[in-house]
Amino acid sequence: MEKIDLKTIKKRSENEFKKAVDLKELDEIFKKYLGKKGEITQILKTLSKLPNERRAKIGKGINELKNFLEEKIEDKKSYFTKATEDKEEWLDITAPGKKPVVGHLHPLTLIKRRIEEIFQAMGFSVVEGPEVETEWYNFDALNIQKDHPARDFWDTLYLKGGNLLRTHTSPVQIRFMEKNEPPFRIIVPGRVFRHEATDAKHEVNFYQVEGLMVGKDVSVANFKAVIQEFLNRFYQKEIKLRLRPSFFPFTEPSFEIDINCIVCGGKGCSTCLGQGWIELMGAGMVHPNVLKNSGLDPRNWQGFAFGMGLDRLAMMKYKINDIRLFYSGDLRFLQQF
Amino acid sequence: MIFSYNWLQSFFKAKLPKPEKLAEFLTMHAFEVGEIKRRAGDFVLNIDILSNRGHDCLCHYGIAREIAAILDRKLNIPKGEKLITKKGELQPVKLKINCPNLVSRYSAIAVEGVKISKSPQWLKKRLGTLGIRSINNIVDLTNFVMLETGQPLHAFDYDKILGKKMVLRRAKKGEKIITLDGVKRDLYEGALIIEDENRLIDLVGIMGGKLSEIDSTTKNIVLQAGSFDRRNIYQATKNLRHSTDASDIYSHGIDPNLTIPALERAYLLLKKIGGGKIVQLIDVYPKKILPLKIKLDLDYVKKLLGIEITSKEIKNMLKRFGFKVVEDLVEAPTLRLDVSIPEDLIEEIGRLYGYQKIKPAFPVASLVPPKRNFELFWENMAKNILKEAGFTEVYNYSFISEEDRKVFKRNNLAEVQNPVSAEQKYLRPSLIPELLKNVKKNQNSVFASSSAGKEIKIFELEKIFKKPKSVEEKRMLSGVIAGDAFYEAKGVVDLLLNKLGISSVWYDEYQPTPEESKLSIWREKRCAEIKTDNEEIGFLGEISPKILGALKIEGRAVVFDIDFEKLQKLASEEQGYQPISAYPAAVRDIAVLVPLFVKVEEVLNQVEFSGGKLIRDVDLFDIYEGEEMPEGKKNFAFHIIYQAEDRTLSSEEIDEIQQKIIEALEENPDWEVRK
Repeated sequence: MEKIDLKTIKKRSENEFKKAVDLKELDEIFKKYLGKKGEITQILKTLSKLPNERRAKIGKGINELKNFLEEKIEDKKSYFTKATEDKEEWLDITAPGKKPVVGHLHPLTLIKRRIEEIFQAMGFSVVEGPEVETEWYNFDALNIQKDHPARDFWDTLYLKGGNLLRTHTSPVQIRFMEKNEPPFRIIVPGRVFRHEATDAKHEVNFYQVEGLMVGKDVSVANFKAVIQEFLNRFYQKEIKLRLRPSFFPFTEPSFEIDINCIVCGGKGCSTCLGQGWIELMGAGMVHPNVLKNSGLDPRNWQGFAFGMGLDRLAMMKYKINDIRLFYSGDLRFLQQF
Repeated sequence: MIFSYNWLQSFFKAKLPKPEKLAEFLTMHAFEVGEIKRRAGDFVLNIDILSNRGHDCLCHYGIAREIAAILDRKLNIPKGEKLITKKGELQPVKLKINCPNLVSRYSAIAVEGVKISKSPQWLKKRLGTLGIRSINNIVDLTNFVMLETGQPLHAFDYDKILGKKMVLRRAKKGEKIITLDGVKRDLYEGALIIEDENRLIDLVGIMGGKLSEIDSTTKNIVLQAGSFDRRNIYQATKNLRHSTDASDIYSHGIDPNLTIPALERAYLLLKKIGGGKIVQLIDVYPKKILPLKIKLDLDYVKKLLGIEITSKEIKNMLKRFGFKVVEDLVEAPTLRLDVSIPEDLIEEIGRLYGYQKIKPAFPVASLVPPKRNFELFWENMAKNILKEAGFTEVYNYSFISEEDRKVFKRNNLAEVQNPVSAEQKYLRPSLIPELLKNVKKNQNSVFASSSAGKEIKIFELEKIFKKPKSVEEKRMLSGVIAGDAFYEAKGVVDLLLNKLGISSVWYDEYQPTPEESKLSIWREKRCAEIKTDNEEIGFLGEISPKILGALKIEGRAVVFDIDFEKLQKLASEEQGYQPISAYPAAVRDIAVLVPLFVKVEEVLNQVEFSGGKLIRDVDLFDIYEGEEMPEGKKNFAFHIIYQAEDRTLSSEEIDEIQQKIIEALEENPDWEVRK
């Protein structure tokens, strides 16, 4: 019986495997060693003829070799197949993704939510009121005199058979104060109406947010802090603001709030018309007549009120140049938000 | 109003700050200054006089008073000449005031021997800077005094006043007057006018009459300074749709104490530039206006403004405005008609102190969390759901046109009395008309071509208005899908209601009465009422071809129209948890051949009823009507899901129930279970 040199076979076969370049060659090698007539198969067949002791020894070695070769062959085989698979499974990762169809909320809804969130965080409740109003709530109770040029500021749409479309959200101040005891703080978002020819800056209906805080000693200083905080959060940066005297029949004193132009930072540009400042809202300390008309005693209560245009805020935030786009229903516009 | 910088300077000895600087002072402490323009050696400032200060600040002296207070400067008071009457030739004018409640003061002088000429250069220049054309010395003089003092003046040609009679009265219906500008004006009933013997010679407070105009031959004049009811003048200008500088001032109401000083000022100038002597002085002033005394509490000043300030500082500031202060009593000059309560004084203190200087301080308030606004909560939720379902939110106008009203056959609408345009004649009774117009518009737009395959799916959540008796408003939630999309829309409504926690929803066939059907916007037999229990909360359906045609919409459109007030009352955050069975579920399919008119629901009910409680769910996965089906039949295919909570169901058990279902279905002779 010739000597079976397993080590030599291992070395030789391993070399051959390494050199194999494709599946076909690999198959040849497989046949050569592990095929029906393969070298190792042949050795295995002869094992039975060997004496017990030697059979055990060689058997163990040859089985190890067989397993070793089989593993090698499997590795190399999967290497070859993977290469072809990869070629077939190639993805062009630059091709566009498939977008799920989602809708869009209106930009004014987005702005309104942002404002509500900030004021709610400062303890203001959100309150609403009717759009069809009486002269009393829209004007008289707010200390806006009849037949006075001041009333011309609010060009009004009247309804046949009485009543009118509210020209501002301020009537809700009265409605709320009639039913609630101070101290309180509220904001009132809502749709308002003006008798106005429509153009890029004017609409027949638009949105306002009204604010009202009443307490024992709510002051101008308090208003400044609250509104500064609101603006910083809304624009997510420190905003420079200024208060200058103004007149509203329902507040005394009254002021206008300008902010440093957010586009040019105050240097002067087309947005602020070279002024460096943008008019943002009207505000003031609630007029004692307004408190009285709401059933509150002005000797006990005082507070601030403010009002601003939502459309205007949205136009500045998104750099929209025509207010009419908001009410156009044009999906090319709306689906940008 | 525009102001001359040089004119303002004339009230001060020391030089004023440069125009830009002065503008900034005024903006921050009084009135916003807009444009500043250079004009022939002068500057013109456009100052936005606030509407509560028209009575004292629509004049140069008024702005000078503001400047004096802001800069703490001494002010030169314009000089006047005492009105002393001399003996003359002229017969006195007889004045009669028929409506004393409209005339708080009437002052006038008759001047004999005036010489009409061109105005001197300085006067022309003052007026020219402000864009006012020079006419003659007398007319220019009246303009000058008004622009300086804020008291409108008017000059009549004495010789053109017939009968030397002046009657102040309200105009009667149908009366007309030709004003100085040559326009014949229809007077509104009640407008204040002056009549001589038998002709209207002045439209009081607005414009003089042509009949008594000053011309080159005028020798004697009546110079008038009146104080009239502001409401009357305001209404008259509104009715005439014509306002003048004088009527602007009068509409705000003026201090009656201004008339005599203004005439004195005018007379001083008249002597210089036109001559003549006063032969008659008229001054009817039945109820003298005295200064108001207002009690001011120092602590309240501090509390309202939120500043620390001493009483000395306060007194000082008030004095700069011309207020007299004795202890805690403040006396406001009569020309400050806007000051009557302590808050008015606090405003003066605040703006002089400078709102800029007030340090922001957060209010001290109890830590009460804001009240939850449920309406808003559900509104946000509903909008989010629809957005996630692929809908785009639109905002439309609150109005519809007459044409829309006809197309949609709506009655009982709230009508606008003074619409801006015909498009906005009525308040919208439904969100649907405009949503459909949005569809049309987007079908037309580039949107349609540029985004092929993109569906038009839009919604709006806003108020609608109805007018059964008085106007009622309520919120609706309505949406539209363009195309043959009934089931898609139904799926969206199901999703919406489900996410809002509203169960017990069902769809009832909409069966309009013949009368309703004529007015209906829905396509017949393709519309459902959305109901919970027995309440109808909205509609879902295809829009009728007639309406689509009228709006020129291509293809079909499916709309849901839900009463949001009802919806948000039904909505609930409560959510139950269904235990997940530990035992496996088994699925068996069943296909039923039924006549075309049979509804899914009928079959479904039968399956569920006969199957009993081991059926966890029944899913319709196919409806087929087509060529391979027997004539007049269609096929429903269901997955039936069996599951028990306490054990694994054996296949025999399931087969038995399945068999029971088949038998129950086939009890109906027209139904056939396909095997």
